[in-house]
Amino acid sequence: MHDVRFKGEDILGRQLELAEANYKKLREHGIRSVSVLGAIGSGKTTLIERAIVRLQGEGLRVGTIAADSAGDDDHRRFLAKGACSVNINTQDDCHLDAHTVDHALDDLPLGELDVLFVENVGNLICPADFPLGTEREIVVISVTEGDDMVRKHPKIFAQTDLVVVNKVDLAAAVGVDPQRLVADYAAINPHGKIVLTEAKGGRGVDEVLALLGFPCTNTQW
Amino acid sequence: MHEYAVVDELITSLLPRLETIPGEVSAVFVRKGELRILSDRALENAFELLSRGTRLESARLVVESVAAVVGCAACSYEGASTYYGDEGGHFAIPVLACPRCGAAVSVVCGRELYVDRVAIKDDVPPSGGVQ
Ligand SMILES: Nc1nc2c(ncn2[C@@H]2O[C@H](COP(=O)(O)OP(=O)(O)O)[C@@H](O)[C@H]2O)c(=O)[nH]1
Ligand SMILES: [Mg+2]
Ligand SMILES: [Zn+2]
Repeated sequence: MHDVRFKGEDILGRQLELAEANYKKLREHGIRSVSVLGAIGSGKTTLIERAIVRLQGEGLRVGTIAADSAGDDDHRRFLAKGACSVNINTQDDCHLDAHTVDHALDDLPLGELDVLFVENVGNLICPADFPLGTEREIVVISVTEGDDMVRKHPKIFAQTDLVVVNKVDLAAAVGVDPQRLVADYAAINPHGKIVLTEAKGGRGVDEVLALLGFPCTNTQW
Repeated sequence: MHEYAVVDELITSLLPRLETIPGEVSAVFVRKGELRILSDRALENAFELLSRGTRLESARLVVESVAAVVGCAACSYEGASTYYGDEGGHFAIPVLACPRCGAAVSVVCGRELYVDRVAIKDDVPPSGGVQ
C-alpha cells in the first residue's frame, strides 16, 4: 500500500471559477448584486418585491433571477413590480449553482441594469457551499420558524454577515421573541448585522437596503 | 443533499488525475475545513453510490477535518479561532472574531475541500515459491 498525494485543488474549483466569472461579468456592467437565501416561505420574494419598488423609486433599474423547484410564481411577482426577470426551475436540485446563474445572466439585458437580486431555492443549508458570484448575500429567516433557528444552524449564521428576521408582526402570535434570535446571532457572529423586518408591510426594508449599500432618500413608498 | 453534487464533482475531477497512476485505489482522503457545511456521512454514502462502475468503486472515502485558522488585520493575530458551542461540548463552531482583540477576522484555513491523497494497493509481488 502506498499513498499518492495531490496538489490540493478545491473539489468545487470549477464552481468557484464560474462564480468568479459571474462576479467579474456583473462588475464589468456596473451591476451591484445580492443573493437571497433562506427557508421556504420565510419571505425572500416579498422582501425582493419591496426592494424592487424602493430602488426603482431611487431611479435604479432592477433585475431578478427567480429560482424555484418548479413554476414561475416568484418570477411573475417580480415582473409585476417592474423588474427585468429570468425564471429558473431547479427541479430536484436543492440549490442554484454558478453555471445556472451564468446562463440566466445571458438572458438579462445587463447593460440596462443597476442592481440584480438572485433568489435562491428555498433551502437554508445546501446553497451555502455553492457561491453564485454575487457581491453580497443575505439570509432571510422568519419568526414563524421558531426562536432557535440561529442556534440550530450556527455554521450558516457564523458565515453570513447580513441576516433578516422577517414576519416580526407575527412574533407575539407564535410566541417567539425576536431578541432571542438577535442575541444568538450576536454570540455566533459578533460582527454581523441583523435586521428585524415585516417585509409584507415594508417595515425594516430600508434598513436592509442601507446595509446592502443602497441608502434610500425618497420618502415616498 | 448537496453532498451528492460535491461528490459528483470530486469523482469527475479525480478520475482523469488517476489515469497515470496504476494499481487499485483503496481509499480517497478528503480534507474538509470545519467551516464547510457538509455531512461526512452523506459524503461517504454519496461516494459509495456514485463511484459504482468507475475505478473508484472499491475505494472508500475518508473525510479528514481541518481546523479553522483566522487572521486579524487589526492586531495581526493569526491562529486558532474562538468557538461557540453548547455547554455539553457536543458541537463547537468557529466564531469569526479575533480571540485577542475582538475585531472581525478573515478565514485563513477552514473553508477548504480537496482531495489530499489516495491510497493505492500494491500488486502482491510474485512469491518465490517457498512458503
Ligand atoms: N405576516 C407576514 N407575512 C409575510 C411577511 N412577509 C412575507 N409574508 C407572507 O409569507 C408568505 C411567503 O412569502 P414569500 O415571500 O413568498 O416567501 P419565500 O418562499 O421565502 O419567497 C406569503 O404569503 C407572504 O405574503 C411578513 O412580514 N409578515
Ligand atoms: Mg420565493
Ligand atoms: Zn485582533
